[in-house]
Amino acid sequence: MPEELAVRIENLSIRYEVNVDTKRTLKNYIMRASKGEKVRTRTVKAVTDLSLDIPHGSVLGILGANGAGKSTLMRSIAGILPPTEGRITVNGKISTLLALGVGFNPALSGRDNIILGGLASGMTRAEIESKTDEIAAFAALPEGFIDMPVRTYSSGMYGRVAFSVAVNMQPDILLLDEALSAGDASFKEKSFNRMRELCEEARTIVIVSHALQTVIDLCDTAIWMHKGVMVEHGKPQDLVSHYLKFLDVGALPSSFEDM
Amino acid sequence: MGPYLKEFWNRRAFAIELSRFGDKAEYLDSKLGKVWLILNPLLLAMVYFLLVTVIRGSASKTSGLSTLAHILIELFTFYFAQNCIGGGALSITAGGRLILNQAFPRALLPLSSSISAFWQFVPTIPVYILVVIVGELFFPKTYIPGLRLTYLWAPFIIICVGITGFGLALIFATLNVYFRDTSKLLTYITRIWLYASPVLWRPDILHGWHQIILYINPLGPTLAATSEVWISGKSPTHLELIGCVGWSFLAMLVGGYFFISRERDFAIRI
Repeated sequence: MPEELAVRIENLSIRYEVNVDTKRTLKNYIMRASKGEKVRTRTVKAVTDLSLDIPHGSVLGILGANGAGKSTLMRSIAGILPPTEGRITVNGKISTLLALGVGFNPALSGRDNIILGGLASGMTRAEIESKTDEIAAFAALPEGFIDMPVRTYSSGMYGRVAFSVAVNMQPDILLLDEALSAGDASFKEKSFNRMRELCEEARTIVIVSHALQTVIDLCDTAIWMHKGVMVEHGKPQDLVSHYLKFLDVGALPSSFEDM
Repeated sequence: MGPYLKEFWNRRAFAIELSRFGDKAEYLDSKLGKVWLILNPLLLAMVYFLLVTVIRGSASKTSGLSTLAHILIELFTFYFAQNCIGGGALSITAGGRLILNQAFPRALLPLSSSISAFWQFVPTIPVYILVVIVGELFFPKTYIPGLRLTYLWAPFIIICVGITGFGLALIFATLNVYFRDTSKLLTYITRIWLYASPVLWRPDILHGWHQIILYINPLGPTLAATSEVWISGKSPTHLELIGCVGWSFLAMLVGGYFFISRERDFAIRI
């Protein structure tokens, strides 16, 4: 893979089977087997034959309606979901925020959760501990909250800590799925600035967002996915107008906020 | 497999801290929480002791304490394995959001459960020793071996129990992803397993080909060796040692292969 690329995706297809009409229990399996019945399954084609190069220092936006395959693609880049066909090559350390507040144990303090999140992403304890205060400051937690149980946090604080952990782990590649909805206007501004700083440091960001204005403001390029297929790859402004035309909703203010 | 094991080793601190933080969270609001970890098997051992002595007839002054000591140490050891397997079986389905967000060797989650089970087991040893010391005051004619070199086998046996428990946890954790009632079924399996293991009965009651009952049981050789060291004051037999190592190796090999070969499916099925 050329050195200037952070991620190369070649002919990626992801398919998986889901049970249609039964609970996944041993009891059901034995009952059906004794009657000679087979479990009905359906094959979901989450991503089909997608090829894409993401250069270092770029911000890529991913657009698409629910069920388009955006989150599956992100998880595949992160190494969480295996490709059924094709290949993904990643050049650098990945930090992810794919499900808000992931891994957070509500009974533990914010500090303990930050340490756990960092260790899971492969950092050493010393590295994380040196960053904990920075993460707490970025998340703008009220004084003393970092050592309070996470269950006492508001949903905004919860989201801000999760986002703060992801962006402060010194990632080469940052994958964010709907993470920018956390926090108020001031935190969003701070998040944007932090992401711009990351880009200036030649780090790569991939964002999934339904907030179209965010994609236009932050991204260098964008892709539009529909039912697992990449429909278009281009400049965010052009792509957003094509996407809105496709959805037939027009350029309403709400379209640019959260769709 | 090489890169997986390397990554697994590099991130072992995560499993250790996950276990530590998990225990901390569990017992944060319960002052008696950790005490119950010891009280539960201790009280259960008393109940089993009463049952065994009632069924067998009254406990004689020479065998009563050794029967209690046997039940205690075997039950504590069995619980260690049971907690490895039970906690490990739930570790993947309970770690769903973590699995959906980050890529890391998933075997770290059952490992974390096994580490927790080990730290729950450790305080039971001084409790066992205390019960034996106090018991000897009331039953002075009972033979329980004092401090002797054969106790050096104890760490080896505990390691074998931990490895076997972890290997079996990998199997049940994988099964629980595919069949969500596995963990419920496991409750019954472990109860039957307890009765089929040399916990309520002494392994030396088996002779000849009947000893096969011990060796087809993954925990049989380790529990027999435990009884040999703690109750009889002898070193484990060669056959018991081969059984301990053999089951540890087999559980890790089968469990590791089954888990790793299915691991890439977990994010889809959770």
